[in-house]
Amino acid sequence: MLAIKGGRILTVTKGIIEEGVILVEGGKIVEVGRDVRIPEGAEVIDATGKVVMPGLVEAHCHIGIIEESVGWAGSDGNEATDPVTPHLRAIDAIKANADEKGLQAALETGVTTAQILPGSANVIGGTGVVVKTAPKTTVDEMVLRNPSGLKVALGENPRRVYGQGLKRMPATRMGVAALLREWLVKAQNYMRKKELAKKDPSKMPDKDLKLETLQLVLEGKIPLRVHAHRADDIATAVRIAEEFGISLSWEHATEGHRIAKWIASKGVPAVWGPSLMGRPKWEMRELNFETPKVLHEAGVKFAIQTDAVGSGIRFLPLCAAMAVKHGLPWEAALKAVTITPAEILGVADRLGSIERGKDADLRILSGDPFDPMTEVEMVIVDGEVLVGR
Amino acid sequence: MLAIKGGKILTITQGTIEGGTILIEDGKILDVGVDVQIPEGAEVIDATGKVVMPGLVEAQCHLGIVEESIGWAGADSDETTDPATPQMRVIDGIKANADEGGLRAALETGVTTIQVLPGSGNVIAGTAAVLKTAPKTVVDEMVVRNPSGMKITFGDMPRRVYGQTQKKTPSTRMGIAGILREWLVKAQNYMRKKEVAKEDPSKMPDKDLKLEALEPVLRGEIPLLAHAHRADDIASVVRVAEEFGVKVVWHHATEGHRVAEWVARKGIPAVHGPAMRRGTWEMREMSFKTAKVLHDAGVKIAITTDATSQAIRLLPLVAALYVKNGLPRDVALRAMTINPAEILGIADRVGSIERGKDADLRILSGDPLNIKSKVEMVLIDGKVLYSA
Repeated sequence: MLAIKGGRILTVTKGIIEEGVILVEGGKIVEVGRDVRIPEGAEVIDATGKVVMPGLVEAHCHIGIIEESVGWAGSDGNEATDPVTPHLRAIDAIKANADEKGLQAALETGVTTAQILPGSANVIGGTGVVVKTAPKTTVDEMVLRNPSGLKVALGENPRRVYGQGLKRMPATRMGVAALLREWLVKAQNYMRKKELAKKDPSKMPDKDLKLETLQLVLEGKIPLRVHAHRADDIATAVRIAEEFGISLSWEHATEGHRIAKWIASKGVPAVWGPSLMGRPKWEMRELNFETPKVLHEAGVKFAIQTDAVGSGIRFLPLCAAMAVKHGLPWEAALKAVTITPAEILGVADRLGSIERGKDADLRILSGDPFDPMTEVEMVIVDGEVLVGR
Repeated sequence: MLAIKGGKILTITQGTIEGGTILIEDGKILDVGVDVQIPEGAEVIDATGKVVMPGLVEAQCHLGIVEESIGWAGADSDETTDPATPQMRVIDGIKANADEGGLRAALETGVTTIQVLPGSGNVIAGTAAVLKTAPKTVVDEMVVRNPSGMKITFGDMPRRVYGQTQKKTPSTRMGIAGILREWLVKAQNYMRKKEVAKEDPSKMPDKDLKLEALEPVLRGEIPLLAHAHRADDIASVVRVAEEFGVKVVWHHATEGHRVAEWVARKGIPAVHGPAMRRGTWEMREMSFKTAKVLHDAGVKIAITTDATSQAIRLLPLVAALYVKNGLPRDVALRAMTINPAEILGIADRVGSIERGKDADLRILSGDPLNIKSKVEMVLIDGKVLYSA
């Protein structure tokens, strides 16, 4: 039994508890409140004067699959040799050890859960995985949800890598859309054949791992994680998703302000960012910190992301702080780095807020989470103190 | 209710009305005439001394899919990685926002309806779409007709992109015709197999989006939008089209004067232009006189700028130059309004000022073919979207 007492608890979903107590056992939060009695023999952490909040959730990053400070030898995010690679799995390329700088930075920042996705070179890049950032012997021990979605990229990246670089399809936005449709149709054909083979096993088609992954999407088991900066690109993704009856999240959403009400009406969640960087290409030229406020006011469910290693994962709280500076309500910013990404990733039953029964993933701070002077004093994952002791 | 009163109304299809009134409700033209009563409470636009005409219709352009002033990052019209890409859909690459330079220029010129086509790098390039130019959140909200045709290209372009540069078929005009025939036959085979599968579902072929895209062409639901400058190229297009019983619209028709009577006999309309630059060998006969020859022979013509290859705002100027070279005035006006609307299959909605049609209007300071005339106001679906 572990007790964290005296802190200002930001539960995220159930308000703020001043000088509250959190009881932790078996890696879970067993109790939280003001009048919680600390059982005899419990280990006690005194958080008096501190802020206790849930571990941050990074909904879109590449830590572990693009190892920090390593270069080519540790860069496994983009299989940029074929624009359609649904059979690739991020989990097959993640370095789990404690000395991977990106994962280490995540943990030290109190980012306790992250979705790691393949990169955006390919129209269909492969499946993502949601992991806890506590270091383990193998990545398999870190997994919360796998696969957690199928990465799809629209816009300039696949056009540049294939059309411009390799002189292959797609050279245009039309080509990007056509490849996505083509493979979804192939998977539909494959599923139809498997259905027919139920009556006549001799008709069973050869197992195809590319199509098996797409089948998960068509069956609604995982969403598309759609990389798109521009409003017209996400409109194309939604057009295709509606043709095939599949779900999606909008990754990056750089032009989210242009299309916020429309995207809200479609019920598509957005994972906004990276923001703490320049505007390196045309499709990112509208990058600004007002977008989260516009998304919020339009009723879009959105999370804030760093795209690490696209930008530093340690800047996740700062990205949220900048959004607050530009008009996003403080409470909305808090949700956008905790419970909302947990919901978008389908793991909100386990984490994203301080509630009884949830994983004891906690972040203890010297002050307000969006004050850049605030220090991360302690990080707890599954009830274990991993930073600050 | 909106009333536009006092203007000289060029209805296009029903003559000119001096000092007429147009009543608009719910985006449609409710009434038009000299003795039209303006209901109490109607908003009134005084067009006294002005010319009121239907919004212009541009039947061949690349606005929004080749974004103006941007270069590579906004150039999505040519999937030049495969000479036969009927599965491409222009709608997947169009930027709908109000700040797209080309679409903005169209609106400010009073071009209220456009057909956006894929480019001419491929023999079969994909489907076109007809849009209104009023800015919207997403392109889907701009659509009047989609798909509106299947873009194909004959002549130098695919030969250069594939034969010369990529060392692939087609390197010749024979190769181009060969690819078009090959894919139309594949689509016929596919349709036949689907027909057979109606009785035996186990025989259903795999769904194929390339062939699905060609089906509406073979069923006569959409035409081939045939890019061809030379007379011999359109002759080849027509030869193939007749073999398969499919419809054709001749885009560019630079050598239209050479085959005007023959094309008229075939009943093929011509979307003629661009007219301002002889960019390649196959365009060397470009002339402002061709429009008159086509018209005199009985060909239905629409005038095109091919924007962004030539600026959309030059559309009325090109029409004026055709008139200078012999095209009758009324035909020049029709060739920017009702003719392209008919060619695009949307003349029930746009192209003239008539009761029941969309209230897409262009209010000018003077004659539409006078280069000094200014566009003072543009309405789409009854809404004032531009005001000088």
